[in-house]
Amino acid sequence: MSKVGFLGLFATLLATPAFAQNPQYQPDPEWRPPVETVARKNPLTARPELAGGGRKLFIRNCAECHGRDGAGMEKKHSADLQLPVVQQQSDGTLFWKITNGNAKRGMPSFSKIPELQRWQIVLYIRTLKPVQTSE
Amino acid sequence: MLLRFPAAAQESPFFVTYTHHMEEPGNLDLEFSTTNGVPRSDQRAYVAPYIELEYGVTTRWTSELYLESQSTSGDSAVFTGWRWENRYKVLGREHWINPVLYIEYEDLNEASRIQKEIEGGGPDLTSPNALLTPTRDHELEGKLILSSDYHDWNISENFTLAKNFSQSEGIEFGYAFGVSRPLGTLSSARDCHFCRENFSLGAELYGGLGSTLDFGPHNAAHYFAPVISWTVSDNSTIRLSPGFGLTHETNPVLIRFGYTYEIQGFSQHVAKLFGSKR
Repeated sequence: MSKVGFLGLFATLLATPAFAQNPQYQPDPEWRPPVETVARKNPLTARPELAGGGRKLFIRNCAECHGRDGAGMEKKHSADLQLPVVQQQSDGTLFWKITNGNAKRGMPSFSKIPELQRWQIVLYIRTLKPVQTSE
Repeated sequence: MLLRFPAAAQESPFFVTYTHHMEEPGNLDLEFSTTNGVPRSDQRAYVAPYIELEYGVTTRWTSELYLESQSTSGDSAVFTGWRWENRYKVLGREHWINPVLYIEYEDLNEASRIQKEIEGGGPDLTSPNALLTPTRDHELEGKLILSSDYHDWNISENFTLAKNFSQSEGIEFGYAFGVSRPLGTLSSARDCHFCRENFSLGAELYGGLGSTLDFGPHNAAHYFAPVISWTVSDNSTIRLSPGFGLTHETNPVLIRFGYTYEIQGFSQHVAKLFGSKR
């Protein structure tokens, strides 16, 4: 990694907790999708323009707990979706988490949202932070 | 004040069939619905309005309170009672079939005609209200709800049993099946009222299965009902269903209409009213 790249990454890591609304967020280690789900690809990856619809869905269904910018809310113990710990998860993992929810942490299942719309939400979540690595 | 609350209406189009989709925790749905009976020659037309308050207690537990009434043409308008129902989603994650357990207590009189479910033979649609209202029914009702999402289709089956503690009717049975699908599966970026994604279509089949004293689908009401829902805005949904009676124990046509307003974070708004800083 170049010096500039390293400094950029370091600055990002430093700045993220400062701006995040729930920087203390720790993922639930037991909230893990089945292996075959992790590898699922987003069928809409080639259509980034659909992230706009994902934003609308996000504001309708997710912003109440995660905030309009996805930065989470400390009082609701909701995930800061901008954090690398979230962004590093695969599309399949995020899709699975939206679909199933996590009763232990108070996250409802959103399986009532049509499948492609859930993938649109995943597309939008990716815009909250530049795509990094996948699992 | 209500208009300032953010919300996310995405209601099932069904009136009778329950799915495994629960209310989000802390959210409150206010529903205003009517069941309107078009009469046969020996029946009278009626309108049965009811209010439903649906609250998400946890991610897997939804509780609902109903207040219902009825007005029959050329007869009278009466309050017919209340119901309190609870639904519990058994499994924490999504599966091919998702079971939900349902239990309801009803304090109704015999003039009740909202027909949220049909058990036994169905309601008495011919006797006058003066004869029906003095008879109170204290009833406990259970349902097994099985529901599946297959791609964008929802397929749900409900099996009902009910015990009326006020009368010796045995245990009554009923069923409901429903299939629905949104018209559009992708969301557009712009806010729109008439986009395909705002509409869901489906159909329900529901009826009674008699009781332990006389079990079977004969001599019972059965309906087939197409359903449509329209998400008018982020927090409002309108549903419509013309139901068609399949047996003589029914109204030939049963028209249902419902309006739902969803309030997200209702519990927090209430907590703030009482001084909570969270």
